[in-house]
Amino acid sequence: MKTIDEEIWDYLDGGLTADQKAEISAKISSDPAYQEVFTELQEVHQLMKGAELEEPSMSFTRNVMDQVKLEIAPIALKTKVSKTIIYSIAAFFLLSIVAIMIYTIANSTLSDETFEVPSLKLPVNTQEFITPTSIRIFFFVDIVLALIYLDSFLRRKKA
Amino acid sequence: MQEQQTDYALITAVLEGNTTVYADLVKRHQRFVFTMAMRFAKNREDAEEIAQDCFVKAYKALGTFQYTSKFSTWLYTITYTTAMTFLRKKKLSTLSLNDDENTVQIENHISDYNANSIEKKSGYAYLSQAIDLLLPDDAMIITLFYMGEQSLEEIAQTMHMESKTIKVKLHRARTRLKEKLQYLLKDEVKELI
Repeated sequence: MKTIDEEIWDYLDGGLTADQKAEISAKISSDPAYQEVFTELQEVHQLMKGAELEEPSMSFTRNVMDQVKLEIAPIALKTKVSKTIIYSIAAFFLLSIVAIMIYTIANSTLSDETFEVPSLKLPVNTQEFITPTSIRIFFFVDIVLALIYLDSFLRRKKA
Repeated sequence: MQEQQTDYALITAVLEGNTTVYADLVKRHQRFVFTMAMRFAKNREDAEEIAQDCFVKAYKALGTFQYTSKFSTWLYTITYTTAMTFLRKKKLSTLSLNDDENTVQIENHISDYNANSIEKKSGYAYLSQAIDLLLPDDAMIITLFYMGEQSLEEIAQTMHMESKTIKVKLHRARTRLKEKLQYLLKDEVKELI
């Protein structure tokens, strides 16, 4: 539920639809409470619109340019990192992946009944490390990280 | 002729090596950046320091400017961040009429104005005074909205907030401004605003 002030500010800002505008306009002309708030806020609104900006000192631009002269001249980011280089690197990796896939498919015998999924042989026995305790620790760390992220996300939204 | 160039054209010229053109960009935006800095610093010396720092930062980062938004919005974001950093460093105390302890300072402001008969007659002088009494964020939103002619979305971008939040904050800031004006002007409020 909007207050009279909020309705009048929206009306003055001009962000309302034609119907909403007509509705508020009717309220202003018929309701003395709306009329009073409107007169008051319109004056503040007009005063704000006519307010002038502050003027810095006469030497402001010169002072800025004196400082700027000491800095390295800026260069457009697109000239710093050429897109051609990025595309070339991407093309190289894509072609490599495609070539490996073609080679693998061409040399594999999928119809062979003796086909087995290759197993990963590591120098350590991974089963020793995957215990109920380690899984619990893993989930606990995950939950803590998720809560930290949620906290920072909510703080950002609140700000 | 050069004055008619857009901000984008001036930025391109600077990035192509014509760095002296940056002075035109500074001249175009210095009043607003300085006004924004004044909302935080409350004195001209500090405000000039902040404003100069903003333009130097903007110059150094000009290469990263995306031509998808207005240069002013991008510059005001830098100004807001720089001013906030300044505020944190200086730990400036902010004024609020809601606090009893600030009453004395407000009365001093009023007596300053009574001493100046020309300013006393000016509604804008009281307005400026009332803005100074607002919290920096409130003053910033009002300044950006009215003097910077920024949309709610652009203000949201500048202040790293959502536009809905800015809308609510703008409503509240204007209500507080009205209250402070009424307080400052007392009996004169109905004549002047």
